[in-house]
Amino acid sequence: MSQIVRTWLGFTAIGAGLIHLALVISSPLPIAAVVLLLGLAEIAWGVVTFARDWVPAPRVASAVAIAPLLVWSLLLVVATTLDAASLAESLPLLPMAIASIFELFAAAVLATHLRRARNAGAADPAPTLPSPGRYLVGLMAGALLVGALTTPALAATDAGRYAQPHGSHDDGFVPAEDDGSGTLTGIRHPEHGDH
Amino acid sequence: MTKSPNRMLATVFGVVYLLVGLLGFTVTGGVSFFDTSGGLLLGLFEVNVFHNVAHLLIGAALLIAGLSNVAAARAVNIGIGAAYLLLGIAGLFLIGTELNILAINAADNVLHFASAAVLLAVGLGADKKVRAVTA
Repeated sequence: MSQIVRTWLGFTAIGAGLIHLALVISSPLPIAAVVLLLGLAEIAWGVVTFARDWVPAPRVASAVAIAPLLVWSLLLVVATTLDAASLAESLPLLPMAIASIFELFAAAVLATHLRRARNAGAADPAPTLPSPGRYLVGLMAGALLVGALTTPALAATDAGRYAQPHGSHDDGFVPAEDDGSGTLTGIRHPEHGDH
Repeated sequence: MTKSPNRMLATVFGVVYLLVGLLGFTVTGGVSFFDTSGGLLLGLFEVNVFHNVAHLLIGAALLIAGLSNVAAARAVNIGIGAAYLLLGIAGLFLIGTELNILAINAADNVLHFASAAVLLAVGLGADKKVRAVTA
């Protein structure tokens, strides 16, 4: 696997990890525990992918990359079939969709990597070294794309909605009283022109 | 320099940050050293005099390391990348407070995070064989 693709893998893993962590506060406990562990694992895996010459645990990683997408799809089907929207409503569409794009990318790259390794008869083929200029341009393009997709995804989570817009701290933002349901509803947000 | 991503990045970022530091002084006339609100560089990034001086120092460190050798470039890229990451996170809490002695605004935070991502990714990810040889 080329160094450039490995940096993209690292960025997408960290991007997906951040999105999953941002979903923790809006989710009921069982889902929150899963997205918390998933987010931490993805960020740790992304950092190791950057810092090492090889891709850590590619088989496990490809399974973990696909699993959230399957579980989310299953949850949506069950929620629709049972007419119980509350089952899936803690996982909003936009952040989950963008995290899924990252996961599918990672799964596709890992599958190609594993197939090449098997065909070459080696556990991990020697990484190809691009020219420094190409490497830097590729890395920055990946960082820009992942950043551009992760930012709106984070903004669409409850964690993002809690963040103070434009760094202003005024009295316009009052979190709703907790009704004990474990979900955050009825939050009053300041309008853009309020501050 | 053209064979090492770390040296290339440190040199390019060094030149850019030196230019940004110099350009900053064109919008900070009348702004005091630690002013919590400064001038807008490129109409977007808020800077005060301290912020400009920090840009000049960072640019100089990166440029010197980039022109020196791979080990120095890697170390400075990782060090400044980590510092930018911490500053990016701290900046989220500093905006609007009296402790905002760098006159940071939201656009600055985005740029700090982006710089941190690129510097750390290249510092940690590239030129590993060189580290093995020089270590």
